[in-house]
Order: sequence, then C-alpha cells, then structure tokens
Amino acid sequence: MIPAIKTTGLTKTYGKKRALDDVNLVVPEGSIFGFLGPNGAGKTTTLRILTGLARPTSGSVQIRGHDVAAASNTVRADVGFLPDVPGFYEWMTAEELLHFSGGLFGIGRPVLDERVAMLLDLAGLGAVKTRIGGYSRGMKQRLGVAQALVNAPKLLMLDEPTSALDPMGRKDVLDMLTSLRGRTTVFFSTHILADVERVCDTVAILDQGRIVAHAPIDELKGRYGVQKVVVEVTGGGDELAEEIGRQSWATAVARGSDGAIEITVADMSAAQREIPAMVAARNTGISRMEAGEMGLEEVFVELVGGEPR
Amino acid sequence: MNGFTVFAGKEAREILRTWRIWVLPGILLFFALTGPVVARFTPQIVGALAGDQLSGLKLPTPTYLDAYTQWIKNLSQIALFALIIIYGSIISAETKSGTAVLVLTKPVSRTAFVVAKAAVHSVFLGVLVLTATLLTWGLTAAVFGKAPGSALWSSTLVWLVFGVLFLALMTLLSVLIGSTAGAAGAGLGAYALVSIAAIWKPLGTYSPAALATEPASLAAGKDAAVLWPVLTSLLLAVAFVALAAQMFRRKDL
Repeated sequence: MIPAIKTTGLTKTYGKKRALDDVNLVVPEGSIFGFLGPNGAGKTTTLRILTGLARPTSGSVQIRGHDVAAASNTVRADVGFLPDVPGFYEWMTAEELLHFSGGLFGIGRPVLDERVAMLLDLAGLGAVKTRIGGYSRGMKQRLGVAQALVNAPKLLMLDEPTSALDPMGRKDVLDMLTSLRGRTTVFFSTHILADVERVCDTVAILDQGRIVAHAPIDELKGRYGVQKVVVEVTGGGDELAEEIGRQSWATAVARGSDGAIEITVADMSAAQREIPAMVAARNTGISRMEAGEMGLEEVFVELVGGEPR
Repeated sequence: MNGFTVFAGKEAREILRTWRIWVLPGILLFFALTGPVVARFTPQIVGALAGDQLSGLKLPTPTYLDAYTQWIKNLSQIALFALIIIYGSIISAETKSGTAVLVLTKPVSRTAFVVAKAAVHSVFLGVLVLTATLLTWGLTAAVFGKAPGSALWSSTLVWLVFGVLFLALMTLLSVLIGSTAGAAGAGLGAYALVSIAAIWKPLGTYSPAALATEPASLAAGKDAAVLWPVLTSLLLAVAFVALAAQMFRRKDL
C-alpha cells in the first residue's frame, strides 16, 4: 500500500541551524499518526514542508505517492491542513470562509452548501453569524479544523490542533479525529502526550530535528516501556526499599518525591506476590500499591529528556 | 470555477468590505470634486490670501485646462503616493496574517495568487480613476461652461498606465520586502528615480519615465508622444508581475 506520507532524508537548514536532520517518516494510509516533540523540535517546519509551504534543503517528500514539489495542486486537492495559528479573512463570516475554502477546491454549490452546514455544526459555529474578527481563539481553532475538512480530505494534517482549546474543545477535536479513523489518514503534531495516547495508533517522536522514535504506539511502549510497581507503606520505607533492591525481579528501585518506592521490575507476578509478603513481615501496612506499564509520558521523557505536558 | 477565479472573487469582495473601499476612492473623489472648483476660483483665493501684497499681479483667467492640469497633478503626486503606500502590503499582508497559508495549501498556485491580486487591483484602480475622471469632467463642465474631453481623457488614461505600472512594481516589492513601510519606501524611491530619469531625453521619450511628466502636458492641451512609453510601461508591468510570481514561488511561507 502506498503510504499517505513518506519523507526520505528530509533536511532543512536555516543558516547554520539545522531545523530538520535526515527525517525519515512513513505514515501508513488510514492511520492516526501523532507527531510528537517538545516545542522547537521542528514539528511545524516538517508540516510546512509536507504542505509545500517551505522547501527542504535536501531530501524528498511524497504525499500519497506524489512528489509534493512536482504535483502540488494534485497533492493539495486531497489534503486538508490546519496550521498552528490559523489566519483568516477577518471580514468574512465562518460560513463565507467555508464557502470560499470549498470553492478553492472546485466543489460545486449544492454539495458545498450541505457540507458547509454540516461543518459549521461540527465546529459549533452554526448559530454564529458575526465576522471572524470577533471570534475567540478557540472559535478560530474550531473553524480552522472545519475548513481543513471542507474537501473531505484523504489526508488531514494538523499542527497543534488542540493547544488553544479548553478541555471541552479539546475533547471535541479528539473525538472528531477518532471518528475519522479508517476513512482519512490523520497526521497531527502535538506536544500534549495525553492527546497522542488517546487517539493515535502510530507515533513518531521528534527531538532537535531528528526522529528519535517511530513506531506503532503499543510497540513503542513495549520497546521502551518497562513494568513498574509503586508502593507506599505506613512505615519503614527506607529499609523496605533496600530489601526490594536485593531481589532478583527488581531491576531498579527509586524513591519518589512523595516517599513512594518506585520499582522497575523484570517479573511482575513475582513482585506482586512478594512485596505484600515483605511488608507484612516487617509488620507495617501498605497504603498504596500500583502496578503497570510505563506510559508514553515516561517514554517521551526517556527519549527526549524534556518536560512533558 | 477554478482556484484563480474564486480567489480573484475574494479579492474583489475584500475591496468592497474593508478599508480599501474608503481610502483610495476617498482620495480620488475628494480631488475630483474639489479640483474644478479650486481651479475656477484660484485668482480669488490667491487674492484673498495675499491681500494687498500681490495687488500688482494679474492672474490669468482660469480655463477648463487648469482644472484638468490640477486633476493630473493630484493623480501624479498624492494619488500615486497613496497607491504606493497602500499597496506596499498587497502580498506581505497575507503572508504575515497567515491567510496566504490558508489559500496556498489548497489547489491554488502561487502564480495564480499573485496574478489574481495584481489583476483585480488593476481593474479596481481603472474603475476608480475612470469614475473619478467622469465626475471631475462633469463638474468642470458645470463650473467652466465647457469641458472638451480629449485632453482630460488622454492624460488620465496615460496616467492610468503609469498607475498600473506602479501597482505591478508594488506587487513585486511586497513579495521581496516583508515590511509594508520598507516596500512603500522602495516604491517612493523608484518614483523619485523615474522622475529624475525623465530628464534624460532617450528615457524621457521611450521609457516609462516619460509617463511621470507627459500626462501633465496632455492635460494642458499640448501634444505628447506617449505610444512608446505606454507600450514599454505595459510590458514592464507584466514583467514585474511575472517576476513577483517567480520570486513568490521560491519563498518559504
């Protein structure tokens, strides 16, 4: 199957600064692909190149099998794009903007009218008749998503689509992206890990212009993620941590800021069996015990070393 | 409809629904309506302002040609300066506000984006200038009793070519220079150069530089050879827009 997006050796330099360094991406058709990275990692630069707004210094970009530079209008006909800070003609109303956007794709009037009405409802702007100049940032963001969908795109690219939204707006956008699964390839950049974990099936992590991880999300967690147990006891925490550290199933033991014992385990069932026994033998009690896989947040921190949101 | 016509339609509606419908039309309307009256009463105005100081000076009786000359002078200076300043952001305003990204990530080529803007605003300028000229022509006839049209229309049409040339130049400068003030400054500098170049006879005869001075001669009822300057100006305007499109295609947005 032809991938929705394929970049090969994508590099972009601004003077001496290397914004993107040999980025190789393959976004499978039909996937919801999270493009994750801290601020300044090069996500927006990548999206600008993918949409033909900027040229790579070297490397190539193929969208649905077409070279972006060579077949620009053909490529753009099937793509919807939401920039990180969408710009609008502020003298237009939302309805006018969607009609204008649809017109640029050559969509005829009866179909366009129907689609515009549907998208205005989706964006929660059906009843808003005022000019865009008076909209809040959240309203503009929702309108941005709506205009990106006006051509029923086969590939939807969004740059930080949820960063300006309140929790309800975020949920609406993420639900909408989830609803597109299987019908449209969704490629979105974000630094919000929870959004990626919630809707994406595949993820790439970009750091300082380089791809540091690129895999289906479960595989990534399996590859980098390890199993962890967190225990809080009513007393004797230091001694218990020392004893746990000597066990063969415990590969690492650390103390959390709240005094909890964080144990990286090689054998989860042994840990779950033996930790309560060790606590009981010390005649103390367990106030909390949690076991689970390392989340994407920990994977991100491990790979990027930054502060996730 | 294709992307070009839809975008050109947007550009036309933007003129009608933003400040653009007030500024340049307001300036032209003001000069169209005041020019003939000011020309007609110039001796009285000068007399009233100067008092006894110019009592020995006899000003000639104004004619409709004075109104025409006044009109072309206003077009060649204030209207042209306003045009240069207003169109200093014809492209850069869209790249700065992010609206260019909205349009250019859809099936609209960068060439279509630039050409549509230059074409729509040239038509807008033409409609404005012709409408204002019609007004000033009628008012001149009312004020002076007669107003033969040839001197007014020939000078205005020749100036219009000069205006379109500067609109095309501003399109190019707005692609090259992101700052509105920077592009406008370069445009005003180009006007100064063209005015100086007109002094050198070969340029003053064949090049667009002639259009800085010749419309005034035509408006005064004199003969002027403007065929070559008009042709070279139109060719240069096309070249400016083509170069603007070429440069815009290479630009990272």
